[in-house]
This record gives sequence, structure tokens and C-alpha cells, in this order.
Amino acid sequence: MSHTVPNQYRSEAARTLRDLPKVRTSVTSATDNFNHNRLRAYGEIDTDRWRNWARDVKTHTLTNLDHYLEQAEKSLTANGVRVHWAHTSADALAAIREVVSEHDLKSAVKGKSMLSEELGVNAYLEGLGVHVREADLGEYIIQLLGEPPSHIVGPAIHKSLEDCQQLFHEKFGTPLDGDPDTLAQAAREALRAEFLAADLGITGGNFLAADTGTLALIENEGNIRLSTSLPRVHVAFVGIEKIVPRLEDLAGFVQLTTRAATGQPIGNYISLIQGPQHRDEVDGPEEVHVVFVDNGRTNLLADEEAWEALRCVRCGACLNICPVYRQTGGHPYGWAYSGPIGAIIAPGILGLKEAMPLPYASSLCGACADVCPVRIPIPELLLHWRERAVEEGLAPKTEELGLRAYTALAEHPQLFSIGGSLLRKLPWQRGGRALPVLSGWTQERDAPDPSSRSFQSMWKDGIK
Amino acid sequence: MSAREQILDRVKAALKDRQATELPGPFRAWRPEQPADTPVDGLALLLEAAGGEVVRQPNIDAAAAWLTEFTTNFDTATVGETVPSKLTPGLESSPPDIAPLGVSMASGAIAETGSLMMNARDGRRSQLLAPTHVVFVHARNVYATFHEALSKARDDLPSAIGLHSGPSKSADIGQVMVKGVHGPARLIAVVIGDD
Repeated sequence: MSHTVPNQYRSEAARTLRDLPKVRTSVTSATDNFNHNRLRAYGEIDTDRWRNWARDVKTHTLTNLDHYLEQAEKSLTANGVRVHWAHTSADALAAIREVVSEHDLKSAVKGKSMLSEELGVNAYLEGLGVHVREADLGEYIIQLLGEPPSHIVGPAIHKSLEDCQQLFHEKFGTPLDGDPDTLAQAAREALRAEFLAADLGITGGNFLAADTGTLALIENEGNIRLSTSLPRVHVAFVGIEKIVPRLEDLAGFVQLTTRAATGQPIGNYISLIQGPQHRDEVDGPEEVHVVFVDNGRTNLLADEEAWEALRCVRCGACLNICPVYRQTGGHPYGWAYSGPIGAIIAPGILGLKEAMPLPYASSLCGACADVCPVRIPIPELLLHWRERAVEEGLAPKTEELGLRAYTALAEHPQLFSIGGSLLRKLPWQRGGRALPVLSGWTQERDAPDPSSRSFQSMWKDGIK
Repeated sequence: MSAREQILDRVKAALKDRQATELPGPFRAWRPEQPADTPVDGLALLLEAAGGEVVRQPNIDAAAAWLTEFTTNFDTATVGETVPSKLTPGLESSPPDIAPLGVSMASGAIAETGSLMMNARDGRRSQLLAPTHVVFVHARNVYATFHEALSKARDDLPSAIGLHSGPSKSADIGQVMVKGVHGPARLIAVVIGDD
């Protein structure tokens, strides 16, 4: 499968639905599981208080971000971590190139990191001659298939068991009807050898506590613990919005994130990393590097409304509940972050023009805001970007013309009344197909017959 | 201008007219009902729900006896640096990457999340590479909440703490849960009482 760009969203979504019907089945089933588990996990806690607390800590941190970034840098440096700053993705890649060449690193194992996906770390390192192995099982599967991840938490949820059986049969010679345990064992053996041989471990970062310089990473498989423990160098790419003020804040954020993501009280492995191996320790990396990445995040921060999207903890709950995402999975969105959250951060990171039409890939049903653990007003931010798109002349012309026509009608009561009576007489099924604005709606639905009388005339007759 | 200055300048410019908000108080485990009466009960409840096993022993001698019985099925083991000699299995030692059994001492545990706190001072390879992992923890070091555990740990942090809250697992192959993907498939917590 080719990597696409957001501009191709409409055609890619249509292609997925038409040519890859199994994707919809797999994605719907996986997100149903996520939703079911999240509902149960939210039910065990006072969700409103947890979410308000998390929202408020993140808001405080973001409105004092310069202070916390400098504090985090100090703490990390005191812990023996080497801190890099990357204004652009090119800066971030240059930082890892420096580390790779300084230590002559040849072979990397990587924990699942959406930021590394955003930056294009794998392709860049392969270009430098560094072998990069994705070690999360889902990421490993799609790396073998040459596909990008389709979900923030479950990168391979668009793949069915049969897809995996076929792949592992070709790769490892496991039987075509091999059960998931057999396949996982084959992957464990192959990846174990890579863990033991790797000299570089690459991860992202879920959170970074500014006061102690603690990097927190959440997972279930153990690949992140291994990637940050076995190779002699660990490089972590951390978005500048990932900071929390206090070590103890991790208690709330880690639990809330896993409850929102997979419905677990906590991930089976949490890594709390302070730095390289201490003198009284027998193993661990000799060097730990943290690369603080901006790459458009300060664009979002500067936006009067969209900055709230920086609270995101990347749990994927808004994807799971989204009636639009659930039809196609993440690939048609054409970049690392799909679903509702992807649509509202894309304009900041990629630019609004490049992000179009993602803010329109939503029915504005509002379910995403209901589940968001940090209460990001996602539907409002989708509308915000649509307004901006109109202002910048990026919105579909039909929408702009339609709204202008409506404004003209609404400002002139007599015209409005004539327009209304015309609409009541329009042959809807044929008319809908004739009008491009409406055909997208009427091709799937029967329009109801219009009322024979206008609301105003009924009102005059005393209907209240 | 360095990337550092560029970023900090842009952050400051973005925040120039934005109202800074107060830092909320500490996270509390707000929930309608507590799942268990004591920290050790809570630890057992959550760890078992996540696929782990929990053994309770009244004191270190009983824990040592349990270990002797348990290890009869193993030939060799890899043992953490902070495991007391009484709790070192009478097996030949083997390197972590080939050992069938890892034995570790947790520096603490968390009832709220069912987590064992694996300190890097104990050695990371012996905590991660063997397919079966036995972890000892003293009942007095089982904290009620994650927040409390972090608060206690903050003054003496090692290079890394791993919270292990169940066996290694994944549902990445066709949404079917499998154990032992990278880390241990079997996690046994042995809680040692203060008798």
C-alpha cells in the first residue's frame, strides 16, 4: 500500500471502502473492543474528576510551557541525559544522525512512536545505513508489509487474523492456520535476536515530568522496556507538549491514558526513565538522549483556539468512537495521526492547505469530545479549522456559495418566502441528484417529501 | 539562532496574551468505591485480573521454602542483584538471555494499579528476558496508590523503574490476546508478610 497525503482523503476513503472491505470489518471489530473496554474502565472511576484534573494540569503546563521546558532540560541534564532541540523534523533527524555517527551505530530496535512516524525516522535511518526494526508486534507486522500504522494505539488493527497468518507463513513458515500464539512465538524469536544485537533503542515518550526529568512510556508487550534497557544508546523523541510538572502527576496521566486507550487500569509495562545506567547498576544504556520536537506544535500553541489540541495524550479514544474513522481506519487520512485528533492537529503540523480536507472528515456528532480524557473540544476545533479554511479560500466553493446564497435569502424575508415555496415544489429525488451540493447526501438516502405548507403559514393558523 | 532559542521564543510569543492557569492539586484516586480493603488485597486483585499470579507467604523463610518447591521444574535461573541470599534459588546461575527463570526483588508495589516496581539496581535483563519471572515484594512496601509510590521513590531514583503489572501481552494479531510476546509470559508475585 502506498503512503498518501491528506489531500487524497476523499478518493482514498472511497477506495478503501470499495476495494478493501475487510479493512472496515477489522477496524470496526477492534474499535468495538476498545470502546467496550473503555466504557467499563471509565465506569470504575469518577471519570469527570479525573478528566477535569488532567485537563487542568495540561492547560497549566501549556500556558507555562517555556518555564516547564527549561525546567525539564535542567532536570534531564542533571540526570546525565543529553538534550537536543528540534524546531523542524529536519532538526530532529539531524540530532539522531549525530548520535548514530558519534557512536557508529548499526542496528536499532524501536518502540512504537507516532512522533517517529511523523518525522519519518525509519526511512531516514535506513538511508544512513542503519537497520531499523519496529519491535511492537503490530508495528512489526505493518513494517513487514510496508504499510504505515492505521491507528495511534493499534497500528495493525486493519489487518485480520487471516492477513497475519498469510504474512507469517511467508516470512517464518508458520502454518497457514497457525493460531495467534504460534505466530507471536515466531515473532518473539525473530525479534529477540534483534534486541540482543541492537546498539540503538528508539522510543517516543508518553509523558515527561519536568521536576525529576522522568520519561514515562506505556506499553503491554515489553518491547519498550527492552529497547530502553538492552542497546547501549537510547534516543527518545518527545513532543514539547508532553511535559507534566510533577513526577507524581504521572500517576494520574498514566492511569487515565490506559483507561481511555484500552480500558486497562494500567499498561502491563510502564517505563519510568531517569537517564543512563548508574554506577551501582549492572546494565542499562550508556547514553540517553531526549530530542524535544516542535515541528509545528508552536503553530498550534499560537492559535487562539487550536492550542487546546496540544493536551492530547494520544490514547486513540476519539478514533475508536468516530463514526467516520470506523468505516475506513486511518490510512485514507494520509499521515501519522488519523481520526478526529489527527484532523485538528494536522493544520498546525502540516499547514492548513496540506491538511485539507481532514477538518471536513467528520459528521460533527460530538462523540469524540464525550470520550476525550483531557476534554479537548474536538468538534469546535474542527469547525474552527473549517472557518479558517473558508477565510483562506481553501473550503469547497459549493459550501461558500451555498452559505452566501442562504445569507442573502435570510436577510430578505420576501425572497426567503419565495425560496421556501420553490423548494417545496422541487422534485427532490431528481433535484438532489442534479445539484452537486446535495447529491452526496441523496445518493445514499431518500429525501422525505416536503410539507405542502410553509411553517410560517402553519404558524399563522395557530399551530404552536 | 539555535533550535532551542527558536522554540522557546515561539512558545513565549504564543503565550504572550494567554491567561496562565493555576496548577491543580495532586491527583487523587477519585472513584465511587475502593476495589479492595487492604493494599495487598488490591495488588492481588488487579495483578491477577491482568493475567499475573500472586502468592502470599507469611515471612521470608516461608517464601524461601515456596521458592525451593517452585524451582524444582527449572534447571537454571538468572537472579537480580538485590535479591537477598535467602531468596536465591539453589539452581545454577545462567545468563539472562538463556535462563528459563528470572528471580527479582521489587523495590515496592502499587495496590491501585496492581504493579510491581522493578528497580534498575536489581538489574534489568534478569527482569525482562526469561519466559518466567518470579518477583518478591515485602508487604510493607505495597503502597495504596501510584501517587504515594512515586512520592516515596522520588528521593532515590535509579536510572529506570519498570512497573510490571502482568505478563507481556499483545492483541495485535487479529485482536486475539496472546501472552509472552517480548517479556515474560508468566509473572508470579510473591508477597512476603512481616511475621
